[in-house]
Amino acid sequence: MTHYSSGSAASLGLASCHRCGKLSDIALKRCGRCHSTLRLRIPNSIQKTLALLITGLIFFIPANLFPIMHSEQLGVIESATIVGGVIILWEQGSYPIAIVVFVASVIVPIVKFIILFWLCYSVHFNPSVSSRERTVLYRVTEFIGRWSMVDVFVVAILVALIQLGGVLNVRPGLAALTFACAVIFTMFAAMCFDPRLLWDKLANNNVPDSDTRNIKEL
Amino acid sequence: MIETSKLNGSRLLSSNIACQHCDFMMAEPQLQPGQVALCPRCGHKISRLRVNAVNELLSYSLTGLILLILATLFPFMSFTLNGNMMEITLWQAATEFYIENYKVLAFVVFFFIVLFPGLILMFVFSYVGTLILFGRRFYSPIIVSAIFGLLPWAMAEVFFVGVLVSLIKLTTIAEIGIGLSFWAYLLFCLCYVKVLSLIDKHQFWSWMDLAKKI
Repeated sequence: MTHYSSGSAASLGLASCHRCGKLSDIALKRCGRCHSTLRLRIPNSIQKTLALLITGLIFFIPANLFPIMHSEQLGVIESATIVGGVIILWEQGSYPIAIVVFVASVIVPIVKFIILFWLCYSVHFNPSVSSRERTVLYRVTEFIGRWSMVDVFVVAILVALIQLGGVLNVRPGLAALTFACAVIFTMFAAMCFDPRLLWDKLANNNVPDSDTRNIKEL
Repeated sequence: MIETSKLNGSRLLSSNIACQHCDFMMAEPQLQPGQVALCPRCGHKISRLRVNAVNELLSYSLTGLILLILATLFPFMSFTLNGNMMEITLWQAATEFYIENYKVLAFVVFFFIVLFPGLILMFVFSYVGTLILFGRRFYSPIIVSAIFGLLPWAMAEVFFVGVLVSLIKLTTIAEIGIGLSFWAYLLFCLCYVKVLSLIDKHQFWSWMDLAKKI
């Protein structure tokens, strides 16, 4: 049996419902409020997270190699990859937009992969970074993941809007699909990761008094 | 009929809860409007009760729904180059993918930008509305689970940033017109983000306990 940090609900055999947050005895099997199955931790959280992350990574490779859209102007077809699109924007002088697209579709997915892989690793090999800081990192990945979809939506708008017969046409490329898949799989990976695992190996010394209530005015 | 002030106080039997991020056990916070409770161990936001949360949830979700319906009815954007003009509605952001044989992507875009945000607003409105009007639960566990299950997948505000990026991309090469739907979708996004800031998992589920007892 794995051991849980003192002060945690799991150390007392209490499970916090993953759906509604109600605290119940694990022996009850089902939550009394929403009837979902009670579990102390997400079962096989690390394995699931890693599997989904690797799937996301596999989709992320063609997303960067293949063009995200093809534009056809008077019979001449030009294809642009994600990074290529950013470079074009930069050369046109729209620096803020180039930075937004670069951060959303290149930096954010890469940072997310690195953080989640490292968090999975850190559950087994206690690093020097504190549990609290790693939980903050987890929250960051949970928050930024969805913003990567910006590029797919840009393609959606351009494909719909630029349909001028033979004059100028925009068609989606393979990368639009694989990039969307990469984003969706990493979002699932972040959901499967159980941040409570980061706290389970904690020594007993830095447990705050459970009566200290942290209620603040907005 | 429940008074809204009762819901705002959320006075439940005092029991214990555990932090969703670190499993630290604490007494359930009894928040007054305008207060936020943080986990003493990991700093996770356990719950936040905004002043006048119930009334604002109702009004902003209904306004957002009406605006979303309006946003699907009118032209969204138009594009003019050398006398050729192309006008699109919001639907075409998804349907053009379908025509181009990227069918999965068409559904994904439709779900993320219209269906899921719309469903969330509808569920929020019906949950909070029935709670206030009748003080009873109508399939509430399913509705509230659906709200929080759909939240990560509703990307109205991300889509709007995408629209702005493509606007700026296109203004250099052609003349871009902005339709009524664009403004409706912008206002819908503002309402949607406001509703997001008011939704609180802990409060939503504890309101349900309150309703059951009355």
